[in-house]
Parts: sequence; C-alpha cells; structure tokens
Amino acid sequence: MTHIGGSPRLLTALDTLVGVDLDAWLAGPGGAALTAAVADPAAAREAVRLADLRGMGGAAFPTARKWDAVAAATVPAGERWVIANGNEDEPGTFKDRVLLEHAPHLIIEGALAAAACCGAANVVLYVNPRHAGVEAAIAEAVAQWRDHHLLDELERVLGEPVRLRVHASSGLYVGGEDTAAIASVEGGFPFPRRKPPYPTTHGVEGMPTVVNNVETLAQAAVLLRLGAPAYRDLGVGEASGTRLYSLSGDVIRPGLYELPSGTSLRSLVFDHGGGMLADRSFKAVFTGGPSNTLLATDGLDVALDPDSVVAAGSRLGTGAMIVISEGTSITRKVAEYIDFFAGASCGPCPPCRTGTHQLSQILHRIDTGHGTPADLDTLRSLTALLPGSGNCGLVDAAATVVASALERFPHEFERQVHHR
Amino acid sequence: MTSAGIPYEHAVEAWRAAAPAPPRSLDVPAADVLAAHHPDHQAHGTTTLRVGANAGDRCPSVLADLLESASLVDDVDIAGTAVADTDVVVVGGGGAGCAAALTAADQGARVLVLNKLRLGDSNTVMAEGGIQAAVAPEDSLQRHFADTVRAGHLAGSRDLVAAMVHDGPDVIRWLIQLGVTFDTVAGDAGEVLMARGRAGGTTVPRILSCRDHTGLEIMRSLREAVALHPGIVVRDHAPVVELLTDTHGRCTGAVVVDLVSNAVQLVRANAVLLTTGGAGRLYVGSFPSSNHYGATADGLVLAYRAGARLVDVDSFQYHPTGLAWPSALVGQLITEAARGAGALLVNGHGERFVDEVAPRDVVAAAMLREMADGRAVERDGQVGLLLDVPSLVADQPEILTDRLVTLAKLAARAGVDPTAEPLMVRPTLHYQNGGVVIDEHGATGVAGLWCAGEVAGGIHGRNRVMGNALLDILAFGRRAGRAAAHAAGERIRRPVGLHHLQQWQRGLVDAGLPLDRRAPLLFPPESNVTPDDVMARCR
Ligand SMILES: Cc1cc2nc3c(=O)[nH]c(=O)nc-3n(C[C@H](O)[C@H](O)[C@H](O)COP(=O)(O)OP(=O)(O)OC[C@H]3O[C@@H](n4cnc5c(N)ncnc54)[C@H](O)[C@@H]3O)c2cc1C
Ligand SMILES: Cc1cc2nc3c(=O)[nH]c(=O)nc-3n(C[C@H](O)[C@H](O)[C@H](O)COP(=O)(O)O)c2cc1C
Repeated sequence: MTHIGGSPRLLTALDTLVGVDLDAWLAGPGGAALTAAVADPAAAREAVRLADLRGMGGAAFPTARKWDAVAAATVPAGERWVIANGNEDEPGTFKDRVLLEHAPHLIIEGALAAAACCGAANVVLYVNPRHAGVEAAIAEAVAQWRDHHLLDELERVLGEPVRLRVHASSGLYVGGEDTAAIASVEGGFPFPRRKPPYPTTHGVEGMPTVVNNVETLAQAAVLLRLGAPAYRDLGVGEASGTRLYSLSGDVIRPGLYELPSGTSLRSLVFDHGGGMLADRSFKAVFTGGPSNTLLATDGLDVALDPDSVVAAGSRLGTGAMIVISEGTSITRKVAEYIDFFAGASCGPCPPCRTGTHQLSQILHRIDTGHGTPADLDTLRSLTALLPGSGNCGLVDAAATVVASALERFPHEFERQVHHR
Repeated sequence: MTSAGIPYEHAVEAWRAAAPAPPRSLDVPAADVLAAHHPDHQAHGTTTLRVGANAGDRCPSVLADLLESASLVDDVDIAGTAVADTDVVVVGGGGAGCAAALTAADQGARVLVLNKLRLGDSNTVMAEGGIQAAVAPEDSLQRHFADTVRAGHLAGSRDLVAAMVHDGPDVIRWLIQLGVTFDTVAGDAGEVLMARGRAGGTTVPRILSCRDHTGLEIMRSLREAVALHPGIVVRDHAPVVELLTDTHGRCTGAVVVDLVSNAVQLVRANAVLLTTGGAGRLYVGSFPSSNHYGATADGLVLAYRAGARLVDVDSFQYHPTGLAWPSALVGQLITEAARGAGALLVNGHGERFVDEVAPRDVVAAAMLREMADGRAVERDGQVGLLLDVPSLVADQPEILTDRLVTLAKLAARAGVDPTAEPLMVRPTLHYQNGGVVIDEHGATGVAGLWCAGEVAGGIHGRNRVMGNALLDILAFGRRAGRAAAHAAGERIRRPVGLHHLQQWQRGLVDAGLPLDRRAPLLFPPESNVTPDDVMARCR
C-alpha cells in the first residue's frame, strides 16, 4: 500500500479518501464543486482560469484553455466529450491509481463539473485495467451516482442526460497519450496521431473533446469548491493549489505526497521523504517520470511548480520524482527507462520504433560492460536526430532523458566504456 | 555450561573398572531433558529478527547479525561491469549443487557452477555415516516418511518429506549409475544385497553406506560427472556476494568475486539456484563445529535479503560425538554409525546415561546434562564424555578396518589407541535444521530463485535423522535443477540490478539497525578475513 503524506491534504484528505461510498463523499466535501459548476458554468470556467490550473498529465497545459475551446463549440452537448485520463503507466508515477481507488468520487465530480463547464454530455472515465482493483472500484462508484439529483441539474444545463461511463484502456503506455485515448474510446487500437488538429476541435468521432488527467479533474473539483482565490493561496508564492508528488527511488520514505505547489525539491526529499537512503548523498532526480531533463544537486532548491521547473531547465511532468543517490548508477537507471520506452513504442512511426530500440540496445551494452566509446557518439547523435520524429512525445521523452544524462553525468558513461 | 568435569585419568579408571558400562538410568525423559539442556530451547544468545520476511521470529544472534546486514556492493560499484550470460547459475559446489548442475545440464541448460572454495570442498565430503533410502523389502516409503516426520517433532513439511522419501530409491539408482560403490552383504542365498545400518530414532535399518566416508564417495562420483559434462562450467574461488534482481524483484543473476584476480563480476541467468550449504562455522552458542570452512550461512543471507522466507532458523543439530580432545581436533566427527554398531557413551563415573541410539537431539541434550551436572570428563581443559570404542572392538574385531576406517584414522591423529582407550567426545554444532522455505521443486518465494540442500529448510523439522541430509540434498538438488532448467528454457534476457536493496535498506533504517555491518561472511571468524577485506581487494 502506497504511503500517503504531506500537508495540506485536500485531494488526499481523510474525508475524501472514502472509496466508492457516495453517501460518505456527499456527507463530507462532496457535491459543492458540481453544484457550483451547474449553477454558473461560465463563472466556473473563469475560476479555473484564475486559479491557473495546469494539466497534471505531463504537459502542464492550462486547463481553462481546453475547457473554453470546447465550450465555444457549436455542436450539441451530445456530440461533445470529456475524457478523464487515468491510464497512468510511466515508471515512478503512481498518483492517479491512488486517487482512482480511494477518491473515485472526487474524480467523477471533477469530470461532471468539466462536462457542465464545456457543455459536454459524454463523460468517459478512461482507466487502466492493469491497476488492480481500480476498474471495479470506479465502475461501482459510477453506479452509485445513478438517479442522483445533481445529475438532473446537470441535464438541465446540458439539455440532455449526461452519459457517464467507464472505458478500460488497453493498459499500454501510449494509450495514455490524448489522441490515443480518443482512438481507444472510439474502439480502435490506441495509436497516437499527429497534432494539430487538437482534440478540443477534433476529438472522439471528430467532435470537440476535452482530455484531462484524472488529477487535473480532481484539482478542478477542489478549486471549484474552495473558489479560485483560496485555492491559489494554497500554493507557495506565485504557484497555485496543491500537487501530488509521486516520490520514489533512494529515499527513506517513498510515497505519494500532497504538498503546496511550489514546495522545494529539497523539502520534498529531505523533510517529507525522510532524506536519502543509507546516508548516501543526493545525486540527481528524474523529474516527472523518466521523460525529462535530470535535475542534479544544483536543482535541489527549485520550486516544484510547472513554471519554476521549466526555468530550471526541466519539466514537472506528472509530478513524479525518482531520486538517485551517489550509490546508484545513472547509466543503469537510464538504460532501465529507455528499455521501458522501447517496449512501449507502438510501431507506426519508424524513427520512434527503431530509434528507441537502438538507444535501448546501446545503453544495455554499456550497462552490461560491453559498450565502446563509439557507442557514446552514436547515443549523442541519436539524441539530436530523434526528437520530433514521432506522432506523440514518446521518442522525444526518450531522447531527452538520454541527452540530459549524457550532459549531466558524462563521466559515468565514459568510465563504463573506457575501463576495459 | 561446561563446569569442570572429573579428571580424565580417574574417569578412565572408573570406565575400566566397570566396562562394559552399566546403565545409571537410560530412561531419560526426552521432553524434559530437551527443554532443560538442548540449545534450541534456551533463550540466551538469541534475538528477535526485525527486518525481512521473518521479522518477529527468534533467531540466534550470530545469525541474526548476518541476516540483518547491509550488502557488500552498491549499484554504482557494479554498473558497467561485464555481464556473462548463462541459463542456470548454481551457487555452491557441494552435493546439492552438483546434483542440480547435472540435472539441469541433462535437460539442455547451460550451467555455471560458482564455488567459494573448490568444487567438492563442502560438508558433503565430510558425511560419514551414510544415506537413507527405503530400498529394503521390509521397509517402505510410508515408514521412511513416518520416521522422518516423527524425528522432526512433527515440524517438517509433509509435502517436502513425501517428495524426498519418494525420490530415495531413484537417487540410489542414480548414484550407482554414477559410480558410487555402496557397501554390500551376502544374502541367505548368496545374493548380493546392499548393507544397511540403523539410524538413531528410526524403526528399520535404512542407512546405505560406503564404509564411513559415504559423502566423500558420493562427492567423488559427482565431481567426476560434473567435470565430464559438456554443459557445465565450473569456477572455483568465486563466491557469490549478492544476488541480482530486476524491478519486479525477480532474481536475475549473481554478483561474483573472483578471489584469484580480485575482480567483481556479474553473471546473468534465467534461474539462480542456491546450494551453499550450512552455517556451522558461525559457532552458534559457542559450540565447536563439525562443518567445513565454507559453512558460513551465505545462502541464507543472500536469499533472505532478496525477500525469501526462512523456516526454523533457530533450530540446529548438535551431533553427539564430535571429538572433545585434543584441542586441535575439537569438532572432528565420529560417525553415528559407531553408536549404531554398539559403541556406548560413558560419563566420568563409568556409567551409561542415555540410550545411544535415541534421536540425536535427545542424546546431545543428555550429554549436555552430564556436562552441566559435573559428571563429564575433563582433559587439558576440554570437557566431554567417553565413547567406549574398545568394548566395541572387543565385540567386533574387524569393525575398524571394515567399516569405521575414518574413526581409526582420527584416533591415530589424536594419538589414541582406539582398541585400548576410549575417545573423548562432546555435542558439536553439526547441521542447520531450518533454512530457506522451498516447495517440492526447490522454488523459493522469490521468482527466479531456487534453493536445495542444507540451505533449504522445512524438511527435517526441528531434528534431522542421520542419513536424511544426503538424501535431501540429492533429491531436492535434482528437483531444483530440473525446475530451474525448465524455467531457463524461456531464454529471456532480463535486466540486471540490485532492486531488492532499496526496500531492504529502508527496513534496516526503520529498525534502527547499523548500515555498516555487511554480509555474507564468506570466511569463518577464525580466518580473520572480513567480507569488507575481500571487497577492498577488488577496488
Ligand atoms: C562432518 C559431517 C558429517 C555428516 N554426516 C552425514 C551423514 O552421515 N549422513 C547425512 O545424510 N548427512 C551427513 N551430514 C550432513 C550433510 O553432509 C550435509 O548436510 C550436506 O552434505 C550438505 O550438502 P550441501 O550440498 O547442501 O552443502 P555443502 O556440501 O556444504 O556444499 C555447499 C557448498 O557451497 C559453497 N558455498 C558456500 N557459500 C558460498 C558462496 N557465497 N558462494 C559460492 N559458494 C559457496 C561451499 O563452499 C560448499 O562447497 C554430515 C555433515 C558433516 C559436516
Ligand atoms: C506517450 C504518452 C503517454 C501519455 N500517457 C498519459 C497518461 O497515462 N495519463 C495522462 O493523464 N496523460 C498522459 N499523457 C499526456 C496526454 O497526452 C495529455 O497531455 C493529458 O492527458 C492531458 O491532460 P492534462 O491537460 O490534464 O494534463 C501521455 C502523453 C504521451 C506522449
């Protein structure tokens, strides 16, 4: 069971982690967000904009821009879609499955509020069947909403009944990419397609669609309940709200921490994570899962909010922080993650398919003591060539993490290819 | 415990006057004597494990210190180290390891045997008395099963015991095919029958032997077969110091130290099989030990750290008749076959005090009672009891040349004439009753990891019958070898790493245990070579 910590706890408050029990949810903080959204959808969208809510699925895209775009569409509610993306399958990220299992109603309420704000009558909870127990829990939670009076009010806003359903994803990593999720909801294989056009105009069946990460929707529910000013105040400095950080790696207390957005990496690792394992010093952190630039010791004081992390040269991504100590090899970790990307590459884009595979093979050679200096040159040129060559961001993520590791820790790679 | 005894000269006079010794009372209340005198039943020197799958269980402190220790290697130390690939890696080249290697290789697997010492330098070669298998007409698998379960105080796994006794006859056939020459006798019609001895606590003579060096003979044949098998590569002086695991916690290989070139090496395998033997050289309870130099519990430490469960780790067997004098030979074993053949145990007053063929734990506990109560014998500061070999020889003049040849050699080394003078003996740490939990195929709870032999537990319960260890190591060695070869058939190249160490270190931190106590031990305390020394040489 994942350790849950941090403060203040809103998404992970005890009266929110009530599981599938809708009565318990409504007896606690439940209902307020959806009530606000159906009362005045435009004002709710404005609150989301003022709160500067950013996507928690990786790209930190402003949520209000997606919602406004779909709200501005001219098609009827029955042809607009909201997809709550709970596919989550990246190494080191485990926040969504915790929310889905323990706070399903927070997510459902967020998704219904989004539907109200965007005028969308189709709401799909897109979950990963490989997360044990999640699919059943969410289905049971959905069933409990049947005939609830808030759904009648939502129907009044939409002009037709909302169609809320659960869709099990393929379980594959690429299936979490937004256009792939759409393809999956349409019944097809989850291949990502080129963007633009974006889902907000060309989503499910070519119709306007909001794809949001489940944490984003949960955050939206919290902010609609608290109001934008109070929500903003939760963050440190300019940052807004709280965030879920999936902390793992060489720390004493790994787990899911809900902390004010803008909390420093140092505080996350040392105050909350209990510090470094086995008294080793901190070496680096893979931020946002293994898809971004590594932060090293000089990044320890970065504030963990989307803009500050970008200013420090990386990205917050999903909020996953995989901490690496001096006792752990960077090359081995990178090899492990690239192995994941190569296995997850879905096929239609040849540069991604062969590129990630080639990266993986070379890193594996280096990791198992059979690498040559020429391998490092090949790695460097691949990381320059590959970005942008796929339909989705998978190959970019792989290239970024390799390039960053080579740049920050060249000696680890060189030591391993030279010493034989 | 060893309060001074009766001076040797007086004791020998008392023995001479009385020989053959009259019984004081042989009707020892087994349960009481065990409770009062058997080391397994004493709380001192034990501790409660705080980390790992057996947290909460009692364990001798010397072993707990090793089980709850930090790794000898860090991820960063081994990154980029050349990885050698094989299908099955067998760690430990005693009887279990060789049986496993041969069976796996016969199934077509490429097998690498990694040895801390040299192939065969093991407890197996020291086994004297023999091996149990129900091969006689008046015997049965059911009887062998019942004898084993009862002797183990009903603590052994019935499934494992059933598997072992079932394999008995086939193991013997296999050994004969490999060239082991068991002792024979002529039957009534002049036919050749296998000679059978009787083990303490059993209902039928079931011990098959090669004089009193059965283990050596078995090991000789196994070594030969291993050396000749094209599918097996053997590396000596190459102890395993850590297991490799992937992100799912599956065991994917081993970290090896080459003691000759002082280099750390990695071996990746689809199946890892631990056959590292026992723990006698930890001198649990400060007892002397009969075990060979490599018996330092390495396999228990490796498996436990990787997440495997152990069973009965607080239970050891103390062999009643390790030499107690002279000091240079303390712990050297005199086979139970000597008592089986009729040799008596005598205290300092020239009295018998226990049925010599009662179960080993009862005999050992009764001896410890004599020692505690001042009825034992003292010579040059060593305390023990007398084993009346002279009366046995008087009765069976050929026995030292025909059967107890090792005993005769040992007596000569001790400067004792065994036809004239009794030997001084005492309970000696002999066998680890417990070990890693396995199923009938040697599989542990850790994917990719199998165990067989003395390192595994659950078969003998809390007391082992003589001769069942040799059967156990061969039966489960072959079973595990077969299962490992089968698993290795997938030929998937899994990633190597030390993923189990993170969770392990967290456990140590949580329990407030030191992070600088490292294991496996590799060499016994008297070697003055610490595992840190071994690793330092590799840097
Ligand atoms: C003196 C004596 C007499 C005995 N008599 C009998 C008897 O008559 N009948 C009977 O059934 N049983 C007897 N036993 C018990 C029996 O011999 C053993 O239990 C059995 O042989 C153990 O076999 P094994 O293959 O599991 O271990 P071993 O034969 O001890 O082999 C283990 C091997 O693993 C190696 N090793 C250890 N650590 C490492 C590491 N880290 N890396 C690589 N290699 C490692 C060791 O060096 C050793 O070579 C006797 C034992 C002793 C000591
Ligand atoms: C290969 C790939 C996999 C992705 N997997 C997920 C996922 O599992 N969950 C998720 O919310 N977003 C995932 N994303 C990001 C989505 O494409 C999309 O940006 C996100 O769902 C939008 O929600 P947000 O704005 O609330 O962050 C993935 C992106 C890529 C390129």
